[in-house]
Amino acid sequence: MKESPERQKLEAVLRSSGMVAGGFLGRDRRPVAEIIEADAAELGRLGRTASDLAARMRDITKQARGGLETPVRVGANLEARMIEAKGSLPCPWPHAGRYPKGMVIATRPDTGASVRWSELSLHLIEAHGFFQGRGSRYRLEPRDAVAVLF
Amino acid sequence: MDTLLAIGVVSALAAALAAALTVAERFIADYGACTITVNDDRRFEVAGGGTLLESLSRNNLFIPSACGGRGTCAYCKVKVLEGAGPVLPTEEPYLDAAEREDGMRLSCQVKVRRDLRIRIPDELFNVRPFAASCVRIRELTRDIREFRLDLNDPAEIEYVPGQYIQLQAPAYDGNEEVYRAYSISSDPAEPDAIELVIRLVPGGICTTWCFEHLHEKDPVSFNGPYGEFRLSETDAPMILVAGGSGMAPIKCILHHMQNRGCRRDAIYFFGANRVDELFYLDRMRQFEKDLAHFTFVPVVARPEAGASWNGETGLVTEALERSLTDASKHEGYLCGSPGLIAAAREVLTKLGMPEEKIYYDAFA
Repeated sequence: MKESPERQKLEAVLRSSGMVAGGFLGRDRRPVAEIIEADAAELGRLGRTASDLAARMRDITKQARGGLETPVRVGANLEARMIEAKGSLPCPWPHAGRYPKGMVIATRPDTGASVRWSELSLHLIEAHGFFQGRGSRYRLEPRDAVAVLF
Repeated sequence: MDTLLAIGVVSALAAALAAALTVAERFIADYGACTITVNDDRRFEVAGGGTLLESLSRNNLFIPSACGGRGTCAYCKVKVLEGAGPVLPTEEPYLDAAEREDGMRLSCQVKVRRDLRIRIPDELFNVRPFAASCVRIRELTRDIREFRLDLNDPAEIEYVPGQYIQLQAPAYDGNEEVYRAYSISSDPAEPDAIELVIRLVPGGICTTWCFEHLHEKDPVSFNGPYGEFRLSETDAPMILVAGGSGMAPIKCILHHMQNRGCRRDAIYFFGANRVDELFYLDRMRQFEKDLAHFTFVPVVARPEAGASWNGETGLVTEALERSLTDASKHEGYLCGSPGLIAAAREVLTKLGMPEEKIYYDAFA
Protein backbone atom coordinates (compact mmCIF):
# COMPACT_ATOMS: atom_id res chain seq x y z
CA MET A 1 0.00 0.00 0.00
CA LYS A 2 1.23 3.48 -0.81
CA GLU A 3 2.39 5.43 2.21
CA SER A 4 1.03 8.89 2.95
CA PRO A 5 3.40 11.88 2.70
CA GLU A 6 3.22 12.19 6.52
CA ARG A 7 4.31 8.57 6.94
CA GLN A 8 7.09 9.06 4.39
CA LYS A 9 8.34 12.11 6.28
CA LEU A 10 8.22 10.18 9.54
CA GLU A 11 10.25 7.34 8.00
CA ALA A 12 12.79 9.85 6.72
CA VAL A 13 13.12 11.50 10.14
CA LEU A 14 13.46 8.11 11.85
CA ARG A 15 16.17 7.01 9.40
CA SER A 16 18.07 10.29 9.67
CA SER A 17 20.88 10.57 12.20
CA GLY A 18 20.08 14.23 12.81
CA MET A 19 18.46 13.59 16.18
CA VAL A 20 20.22 10.51 17.55
CA ALA A 21 23.44 8.82 16.43
CA GLY A 22 22.66 6.24 13.77
CA GLY A 23 18.98 7.19 13.62
CA PHE A 24 16.02 5.46 15.25
CA LEU A 25 15.89 2.62 12.75
CA GLY A 26 19.53 1.49 12.76
CA ARG A 27 20.10 -1.13 10.07
CA ASP A 28 16.45 -2.21 10.09
CA ARG A 29 15.04 -1.91 6.56
CA ARG A 30 11.46 -2.77 7.54
CA PRO A 31 8.83 -0.02 7.38
CA VAL A 32 8.01 1.54 10.75
CA ALA A 33 4.50 0.08 10.79
CA GLU A 34 5.93 -3.41 10.33
CA ILE A 35 8.43 -2.94 13.16
CA ILE A 36 5.66 -1.76 15.49
CA GLU A 37 3.41 -4.63 14.48
CA ALA A 38 6.11 -7.26 14.96
CA ASP A 39 7.06 -5.97 18.41
CA ALA A 40 3.40 -5.81 19.49
CA ALA A 41 3.01 -9.42 18.40
CA GLU A 42 6.14 -10.44 20.29
CA LEU A 43 4.83 -8.74 23.43
CA GLY A 44 1.50 -10.48 22.96
CA ARG A 45 3.25 -13.86 22.89
CA LEU A 46 4.93 -12.87 26.16
CA GLY A 47 1.57 -11.97 27.68
CA ARG A 48 2.27 -8.24 27.80
CA THR A 49 1.33 -5.04 25.99
CA ALA A 50 3.33 -1.93 25.19
CA SER A 51 1.14 -0.07 27.69
CA ASP A 52 1.88 -2.26 30.67
CA LEU A 53 5.58 -2.45 29.80
CA ALA A 54 5.67 1.36 29.51
CA ALA A 55 3.85 1.73 32.85
CA ARG A 56 6.50 -0.46 34.51
CA MET A 57 9.30 1.51 32.84
CA ARG A 58 7.77 4.81 33.93
CA ASP A 59 7.55 3.66 37.53
CA ILE A 60 11.19 2.51 37.47
CA THR A 61 12.24 5.77 35.81
CA LYS A 62 10.56 7.76 38.57
CA GLN A 63 12.28 5.76 41.29
CA ALA A 64 15.65 5.90 39.51
CA ARG A 65 15.44 9.66 39.13
CA GLY A 66 15.19 9.96 42.91
CA GLY A 67 18.64 8.38 43.18
CA LEU A 68 20.26 11.45 41.59
CA GLU A 69 22.41 9.28 39.31
CA THR A 70 23.16 6.70 42.02
CA PRO A 71 21.69 3.18 41.80
CA VAL A 72 18.40 2.61 43.63
CA ARG A 73 16.74 -0.64 44.59
CA VAL A 74 13.40 -1.20 42.86
CA GLY A 75 11.55 -3.99 44.62
CA ALA A 76 13.39 -7.18 45.52
CA ASN A 77 15.00 -8.08 42.20
CA LEU A 78 15.93 -4.91 40.40
CA GLU A 79 18.44 -2.09 40.63
CA ALA A 80 18.06 1.03 38.50
CA ARG A 81 20.26 4.01 37.82
CA MET A 82 19.35 7.10 35.85
CA ILE A 83 22.13 9.01 34.12
CA GLU A 84 21.05 12.40 32.87
CA ALA A 85 22.67 14.55 30.21
CA LYS A 86 22.32 18.15 29.11
CA GLY A 87 19.64 18.83 26.53
CA SER A 88 16.41 17.31 25.35
CA LEU A 89 15.05 15.69 22.22
CA PRO A 90 11.73 16.14 20.45
CA CYS A 91 9.62 13.15 19.49
CA PRO A 92 10.01 12.38 15.77
CA TRP A 93 6.25 11.86 15.51
CA PRO A 94 4.27 14.97 14.56
CA HIS A 95 3.28 16.33 17.95
CA ALA A 96 4.73 18.80 20.45
CA GLY A 97 6.88 17.57 23.32
CA ARG A 98 10.51 17.33 24.33
CA TYR A 99 12.14 14.61 26.40
CA PRO A 100 15.25 15.07 28.57
CA LYS A 101 18.38 13.28 27.44
CA GLY A 102 19.97 10.60 29.53
CA MET A 103 19.04 7.04 30.27
CA VAL A 104 17.84 4.56 32.83
CA ILE A 105 19.82 1.35 33.25
CA ALA A 106 17.84 -1.39 34.98
CA THR A 107 19.79 -4.44 36.15
CA ARG A 108 18.80 -7.67 37.81
CA PRO A 109 21.57 -8.29 40.37
CA ASP A 110 20.73 -12.02 40.45
CA THR A 111 21.42 -12.61 36.75
CA GLY A 112 23.37 -9.50 35.75
CA ALA A 113 20.93 -8.97 32.85
CA SER A 114 20.15 -5.34 32.12
CA VAL A 115 18.17 -3.13 29.79
CA ARG A 116 18.36 0.60 29.25
CA TRP A 117 16.13 3.30 27.87
CA SER A 118 15.93 7.06 27.50
CA GLU A 119 12.94 9.24 28.33
CA LEU A 120 12.31 9.54 24.60
CA SER A 121 12.50 5.75 24.16
CA LEU A 122 9.95 5.37 26.92
CA HIS A 123 7.66 7.89 25.26
CA LEU A 124 8.05 6.13 21.88
CA ILE A 125 6.93 2.85 23.45
CA GLU A 126 4.19 4.40 25.56
CA ALA A 127 2.64 6.65 22.91
CA HIS A 128 3.57 4.96 19.64
CA GLY A 129 4.35 1.32 20.48
CA PHE A 130 7.74 1.87 18.81
CA PHE A 131 10.73 -0.01 20.23
CA GLN A 132 13.07 1.36 17.48
CA GLY A 133 14.73 -0.54 14.68
CA ARG A 134 17.19 -3.40 14.94
CA GLY A 135 20.74 -2.16 15.24
CA SER A 136 19.74 1.24 16.57
CA ARG A 137 21.49 2.23 19.79
CA TYR A 138 18.33 2.51 21.83
CA ARG A 139 16.39 -0.44 20.46
CA LEU A 140 14.75 -2.23 23.38
CA GLU A 141 14.05 -5.88 22.62
CA PRO A 142 10.59 -6.63 24.03
CA ARG A 143 11.72 -10.08 25.17
CA ASP A 144 14.71 -8.65 27.08
CA ALA A 145 12.60 -5.90 28.62
CA VAL A 146 9.97 -8.33 29.87
CA ALA A 147 12.62 -10.72 31.22
CA VAL A 148 14.40 -8.01 33.20
CA LEU A 149 11.56 -5.77 34.29
CA PHE A 150 8.86 -8.24 35.37
CA MET B 1 -0.92 -4.21 -11.80
CA ASP B 2 -2.27 -1.29 -13.82
CA THR B 3 -3.40 0.40 -10.62
CA LEU B 4 0.05 0.04 -9.08
CA LEU B 5 1.64 1.39 -12.24
CA ALA B 6 -0.73 4.38 -12.24
CA ILE B 7 0.04 5.10 -8.58
CA GLY B 8 3.75 4.88 -9.32
CA VAL B 9 3.49 7.26 -12.26
CA VAL B 10 1.42 9.78 -10.29
CA SER B 11 3.83 9.58 -7.34
CA ALA B 12 6.82 10.09 -9.63
CA LEU B 13 5.15 13.08 -11.30
CA ALA B 14 4.27 14.58 -7.92
CA ALA B 15 7.84 14.10 -6.69
CA ALA B 16 9.23 15.65 -9.87
CA LEU B 17 6.86 18.59 -9.56
CA ALA B 18 7.82 19.14 -5.91
CA ALA B 19 11.51 19.04 -6.84
CA ALA B 20 10.92 21.48 -9.70
CA LEU B 21 9.09 23.85 -7.37
CA THR B 22 11.93 23.68 -4.86
CA VAL B 23 14.51 24.42 -7.55
CA ALA B 24 12.34 27.20 -8.99
CA GLU B 25 11.88 28.70 -5.53
CA ARG B 26 15.61 28.65 -4.98
CA PHE B 27 16.86 29.87 -8.33
CA ILE B 28 14.02 31.56 -10.16
CA ALA B 29 11.65 33.09 -7.62
CA ASP B 30 12.74 36.61 -6.83
CA TYR B 31 11.36 38.02 -3.63
CA GLY B 32 13.65 41.02 -3.88
CA ALA B 33 15.09 42.66 -0.82
CA CYS B 34 13.18 42.16 2.40
CA THR B 35 13.62 43.89 5.74
CA ILE B 36 13.79 41.97 8.99
CA THR B 37 13.08 44.19 11.97
CA VAL B 38 14.37 42.76 15.22
CA ASN B 39 13.01 43.94 18.58
CA ASP B 40 11.66 47.05 16.84
CA ASP B 41 15.06 48.76 16.77
CA ARG B 42 17.40 46.79 14.49
CA ARG B 43 16.77 46.37 10.81
CA PHE B 44 18.49 44.05 8.36
CA GLU B 45 18.04 44.15 4.62
CA VAL B 46 18.26 40.60 3.27
CA ALA B 47 17.70 38.87 -0.06
CA GLY B 48 14.26 37.24 0.06
CA GLY B 49 13.84 33.50 -0.42
CA GLY B 50 16.12 32.18 2.31
CA THR B 51 15.09 30.90 5.71
CA LEU B 52 14.81 33.29 8.61
CA LEU B 53 17.55 31.36 10.46
CA GLU B 54 20.09 31.63 7.65
CA SER B 55 19.12 35.23 6.82
CA LEU B 56 19.78 36.25 10.42
CA SER B 57 23.05 34.34 10.67
CA ARG B 58 24.30 36.04 7.47
CA ASN B 59 23.83 39.26 9.43
CA ASN B 60 25.74 37.89 12.42
CA LEU B 61 22.64 37.24 14.46
CA PHE B 62 22.80 33.66 15.66
CA ILE B 63 19.76 31.82 16.93
CA PRO B 64 20.59 28.61 18.86
CA SER B 65 20.09 25.55 16.66
CA ALA B 66 21.24 22.02 17.42
CA CYS B 67 20.34 20.36 14.10
CA GLY B 68 21.83 22.90 11.71
CA GLY B 69 18.48 24.07 10.37
CA ARG B 70 16.93 20.72 9.40
CA GLY B 71 13.80 21.29 11.47
CA THR B 72 14.37 18.47 13.91
CA CYS B 73 15.71 20.04 17.09
CA ALA B 74 13.19 22.88 17.59
CA TYR B 75 15.76 25.05 19.38
CA CYS B 76 15.58 27.91 16.86
CA LYS B 77 12.19 29.24 17.88
CA VAL B 78 11.69 32.99 17.57
CA LYS B 79 8.65 35.15 18.03
CA VAL B 80 7.43 36.46 14.67
CA LEU B 81 5.17 39.46 15.02
CA GLU B 82 4.50 40.02 11.33
CA GLY B 83 5.14 38.61 7.89
CA ALA B 84 5.72 34.87 8.36
CA GLY B 85 2.44 33.54 7.01
CA PRO B 86 0.71 30.48 8.45
CA VAL B 87 2.48 27.81 10.50
CA LEU B 88 3.97 25.18 8.16
CA PRO B 89 3.33 21.44 8.46
CA THR B 90 7.05 21.01 9.20
CA GLU B 91 6.70 23.27 12.24
CA GLU B 92 3.47 21.85 13.63
CA PRO B 93 5.02 18.98 15.62
CA TYR B 94 7.26 21.37 17.50
CA LEU B 95 4.85 24.13 18.50
CA ASP B 96 2.26 23.76 21.22
CA ALA B 97 -0.97 25.76 21.31
CA ALA B 98 0.43 28.46 23.62
CA GLU B 99 3.49 28.95 21.40
CA ARG B 100 1.36 29.25 18.27
CA GLU B 101 -0.87 31.74 20.04
CA ASP B 102 2.25 33.69 21.01
CA GLY B 103 3.59 33.79 17.44
CA MET B 104 6.51 31.42 18.02
CA ARG B 105 7.95 29.88 14.86
CA LEU B 106 10.86 27.67 13.86
CA SER B 107 13.23 30.14 12.24
CA CYS B 108 14.81 27.37 10.14
CA GLN B 109 11.46 26.69 8.47
CA VAL B 110 10.11 30.21 8.01
CA LYS B 111 11.00 31.61 4.58
CA VAL B 112 11.70 35.31 4.18
CA ARG B 113 9.33 36.30 1.37
CA ARG B 114 8.28 39.71 2.64
CA ASP B 115 9.22 42.11 5.41
CA LEU B 116 9.29 40.47 8.82
CA ARG B 117 9.11 41.74 12.39
CA ILE B 118 10.55 39.45 15.03
CA ARG B 119 11.41 39.51 18.72
CA ILE B 120 14.37 37.72 20.29
CA PRO B 121 16.15 37.83 23.67
CA ASP B 122 18.65 40.72 23.73
CA GLU B 123 21.49 38.37 24.75
CA LEU B 124 21.47 36.86 21.26
CA PHE B 125 22.93 40.07 19.85
CA ASN B 126 26.25 39.08 21.50
CA VAL B 127 26.41 35.61 19.97
CA ARG B 128 29.25 35.06 17.47
CA PRO B 129 30.69 32.10 15.56
CA PHE B 130 34.20 31.13 16.68
CA ALA B 131 36.98 29.18 15.01
CA ALA B 132 39.24 27.54 17.59
CA SER B 133 41.83 24.82 18.06
CA CYS B 134 41.57 22.04 20.58
CA VAL B 135 44.86 22.36 22.42
CA ARG B 136 44.38 20.05 25.39
CA ILE B 137 42.19 17.09 26.30
CA ARG B 138 42.37 15.95 29.90
CA GLU B 139 40.66 12.93 31.41
CA LEU B 140 38.93 13.95 34.63
CA THR B 141 37.05 10.73 35.37
CA ARG B 142 36.16 7.53 33.53
CA ASP B 143 33.57 9.37 31.42
CA ILE B 144 34.27 13.08 31.91
CA ARG B 145 36.96 15.03 30.03
CA GLU B 146 38.13 18.62 29.96
CA PHE B 147 38.64 20.16 26.52
CA ARG B 148 40.64 23.37 26.18
CA LEU B 149 39.99 25.39 23.03
CA ASP B 150 42.28 28.23 21.99
CA LEU B 151 40.40 30.86 20.00
CA ASN B 152 41.61 31.78 16.53
CA ASP B 153 38.90 33.90 14.95
CA PRO B 154 37.78 35.99 16.73
CA ALA B 155 40.76 35.77 19.05
CA GLU B 156 38.80 36.55 22.20
CA ILE B 157 35.37 35.86 23.65
CA GLU B 158 33.39 38.00 26.05
CA TYR B 159 30.90 36.13 28.21
CA VAL B 160 29.20 36.19 31.55
CA PRO B 161 30.49 33.44 33.86
CA GLY B 162 27.81 30.74 33.92
CA GLN B 163 27.00 30.98 30.20
CA TYR B 164 27.35 28.20 27.62
CA ILE B 165 28.39 27.77 24.01
CA GLN B 166 27.08 25.54 21.19
CA LEU B 167 29.84 23.24 19.99
CA GLN B 168 29.69 21.96 16.41
CA ALA B 169 30.24 18.25 15.85
CA PRO B 170 30.89 17.88 12.11
CA ALA B 171 29.35 15.03 10.12
CA TYR B 172 31.09 11.71 10.85
CA ASP B 173 30.34 7.99 10.55
CA GLY B 174 27.02 8.66 8.84
CA ASN B 175 25.93 11.09 11.55
CA GLU B 176 24.90 14.55 10.44
CA GLU B 177 26.46 17.78 11.68
CA VAL B 178 24.96 18.83 15.02
CA TYR B 179 25.45 21.53 17.65
CA ARG B 180 25.31 20.79 21.37
CA ALA B 181 25.40 23.08 24.40
CA TYR B 182 28.26 22.99 26.92
CA SER B 183 28.91 25.40 29.76
CA ILE B 184 32.21 27.25 29.88
CA SER B 185 34.27 26.11 32.86
CA SER B 186 37.44 28.18 32.44
CA ASP B 187 38.71 31.35 34.06
CA PRO B 188 37.02 34.34 32.37
CA ALA B 189 40.27 36.26 32.91
CA GLU B 190 41.59 34.27 29.94
CA PRO B 191 39.40 35.51 27.07
CA ASP B 192 41.58 33.87 24.40
CA ALA B 193 40.55 30.33 25.37
CA ILE B 194 37.67 28.40 26.84
CA GLU B 195 37.50 25.08 28.63
CA LEU B 196 34.57 22.69 28.53
CA VAL B 197 33.80 19.78 30.85
CA ILE B 198 32.04 17.12 28.82
CA ARG B 199 30.58 13.85 29.97
CA LEU B 200 30.31 11.01 27.48
CA VAL B 201 26.68 10.22 26.69
CA PRO B 202 26.50 6.67 25.30
CA GLY B 203 25.18 7.03 21.76
CA GLY B 204 25.38 10.82 21.91
CA ILE B 205 26.40 12.28 18.54
CA CYS B 206 28.44 15.20 19.85
CA THR B 207 29.99 13.62 22.96
CA THR B 208 31.01 10.53 20.95
CA TRP B 209 32.69 12.85 18.46
CA CYS B 210 34.47 14.69 21.29
CA PHE B 211 35.68 11.46 22.93
CA GLU B 212 36.50 9.36 19.87
CA HIS B 213 37.20 11.71 16.98
CA LEU B 214 38.45 15.02 18.37
CA HIS B 215 42.19 15.20 19.02
CA GLU B 216 44.57 17.83 20.26
CA LYS B 217 45.49 20.37 17.53
CA ASP B 218 42.22 19.71 15.65
CA PRO B 219 40.17 22.72 14.50
CA VAL B 220 36.87 23.26 16.33
CA SER B 221 33.89 25.52 15.64
CA PHE B 222 31.36 26.83 18.10
CA ASN B 223 29.06 29.77 18.61
CA GLY B 224 27.94 31.63 21.69
CA PRO B 225 27.74 32.72 24.41
CA TYR B 226 24.21 31.84 25.51
CA GLY B 227 22.29 31.54 28.76
CA GLU B 228 21.11 33.48 31.74
CA PHE B 229 22.72 31.48 34.56
CA ARG B 230 25.02 33.90 36.36
CA LEU B 231 26.15 35.31 39.69
CA SER B 232 23.82 37.91 41.19
CA GLU B 233 25.13 41.31 42.19
CA THR B 234 24.12 40.96 45.83
CA ASP B 235 26.19 40.10 48.92
CA ALA B 236 23.88 37.28 49.96
CA PRO B 237 25.57 34.08 51.15
CA MET B 238 25.56 31.40 48.49
CA ILE B 239 24.76 27.71 48.40
CA LEU B 240 26.07 26.02 45.25
CA VAL B 241 25.01 22.51 44.29
CA ALA B 242 26.21 20.50 41.28
CA GLY B 243 26.90 17.00 40.05
CA GLY B 244 28.92 15.55 37.17
CA SER B 245 29.61 17.99 34.36
CA GLY B 246 27.40 20.49 36.21
CA MET B 247 30.74 21.42 37.79
CA ALA B 248 31.57 23.51 34.68
CA PRO B 249 29.59 26.75 35.15
CA ILE B 250 30.11 26.68 38.93
CA LYS B 251 33.90 26.49 38.46
CA CYS B 252 33.72 29.41 36.02
CA ILE B 253 31.73 31.45 38.55
CA LEU B 254 34.28 30.63 41.28
CA HIS B 255 37.10 31.91 39.04
CA HIS B 256 35.05 35.06 38.48
CA MET B 257 34.53 35.51 42.24
CA GLN B 258 38.26 35.13 42.82
CA ASN B 259 39.10 37.63 40.07
CA ARG B 260 36.78 40.18 41.65
CA GLY B 261 38.06 39.59 45.18
CA CYS B 262 34.56 38.52 46.15
CA ARG B 263 34.10 38.01 49.91
CA ARG B 264 30.65 36.43 49.85
CA ASP B 265 30.05 33.38 52.01
CA ALA B 266 29.76 30.39 49.70
CA ILE B 267 29.41 26.68 50.33
CA TYR B 268 29.58 24.30 47.36
CA PHE B 269 28.12 20.78 47.53
CA PHE B 270 29.34 18.56 44.71
CA GLY B 271 27.87 15.09 44.38
CA ALA B 272 29.37 11.95 42.86
CA ASN B 273 28.34 8.33 42.90
CA ARG B 274 31.81 6.97 43.73
CA VAL B 275 35.08 8.41 44.97
CA ASP B 276 36.69 7.94 41.55
CA GLU B 277 33.96 10.11 40.00
CA LEU B 278 35.14 13.18 41.91
CA PHE B 279 37.35 15.62 40.02
CA TYR B 280 38.92 19.08 40.33
CA LEU B 281 39.46 18.41 44.05
CA ASP B 282 42.82 20.20 44.09
CA ARG B 283 41.37 23.16 42.20
CA MET B 284 38.49 23.41 44.68
CA ARG B 285 40.89 23.23 47.65
CA GLN B 286 42.83 26.08 46.03
CA PHE B 287 39.61 28.12 45.78
CA GLU B 288 39.14 27.49 49.51
CA LYS B 289 42.50 29.18 50.07
CA ASP B 290 41.99 31.97 47.55
CA LEU B 291 38.40 32.92 48.32
CA ALA B 292 37.85 34.46 51.72
CA HIS B 293 34.72 32.55 52.72
CA PHE B 294 34.40 29.54 50.45
CA THR B 295 33.89 25.93 51.52
CA PHE B 296 33.87 22.92 49.21
CA VAL B 297 31.90 19.86 50.28
CA PRO B 298 32.35 16.82 48.03
CA VAL B 299 29.71 14.18 48.67
CA VAL B 300 30.03 10.54 47.60
CA ALA B 301 26.87 8.48 47.41
CA ARG B 302 28.48 5.06 47.65
CA PRO B 303 32.24 5.04 48.30
CA GLU B 304 33.64 2.00 46.51
CA ALA B 305 35.29 -0.79 48.46
CA GLY B 306 38.93 -0.01 49.10
CA ALA B 307 38.61 3.70 48.44
CA SER B 308 39.91 6.01 51.10
CA TRP B 309 37.04 8.36 51.90
CA ASN B 310 36.18 10.14 55.11
CA GLY B 311 34.07 12.94 53.67
CA GLU B 312 30.32 13.30 53.35
CA THR B 313 28.37 10.31 52.07
CA GLY B 314 24.88 9.78 50.68
CA LEU B 315 23.02 11.95 48.20
CA VAL B 316 24.28 15.50 47.73
CA THR B 317 20.86 16.81 48.80
CA GLU B 318 21.05 14.78 52.00
CA ALA B 319 24.42 16.35 52.82
CA LEU B 320 22.93 19.77 52.06
CA GLU B 321 20.06 19.11 54.46
CA ARG B 322 22.41 17.84 57.17
CA SER B 323 24.68 20.88 56.91
CA LEU B 324 22.19 23.73 57.04
CA THR B 325 19.20 24.59 59.16
CA ASP B 326 18.22 27.94 57.65
CA ALA B 327 18.71 29.09 54.05
CA SER B 328 16.26 31.97 54.13
CA LYS B 329 18.99 34.59 53.63
CA HIS B 330 20.97 32.61 51.06
CA GLU B 331 20.90 32.42 47.28
CA GLY B 332 21.01 29.02 45.60
CA TYR B 333 23.04 28.21 42.48
CA LEU B 334 22.31 24.78 41.03
CA CYS B 335 23.66 22.97 38.00
CA GLY B 336 23.07 19.39 37.02
CA SER B 337 20.42 16.93 35.96
CA PRO B 338 16.72 17.83 36.15
CA GLY B 339 16.45 15.31 39.00
CA LEU B 340 19.22 17.00 40.96
CA ILE B 341 17.77 20.46 40.35
CA ALA B 342 14.30 19.36 41.47
CA ALA B 343 15.61 17.63 44.61
CA ALA B 344 17.89 20.54 45.55
CA ARG B 345 15.10 23.07 45.03
CA GLU B 346 12.87 21.05 47.30
CA VAL B 347 15.49 20.98 50.07
CA LEU B 348 16.36 24.66 49.71
CA THR B 349 12.75 25.82 49.84
CA LYS B 350 12.22 23.57 52.88
CA LEU B 351 15.16 25.37 54.47
CA GLY B 352 13.42 28.68 53.85
CA MET B 353 15.02 29.85 50.61
CA PRO B 354 12.55 31.84 48.46
CA GLU B 355 12.04 30.29 45.00
CA GLU B 356 13.11 33.50 43.30
CA LYS B 357 16.51 33.25 45.00
CA ILE B 358 17.22 29.86 43.45
CA TYR B 359 19.14 30.17 40.18
CA TYR B 360 19.76 27.08 38.14
CA ASP B 361 21.15 25.79 34.90
CA ALA B 362 19.03 22.74 34.21
CA PHE B 363 20.46 20.28 31.72
CA ALA B 364 17.14 19.98 29.95
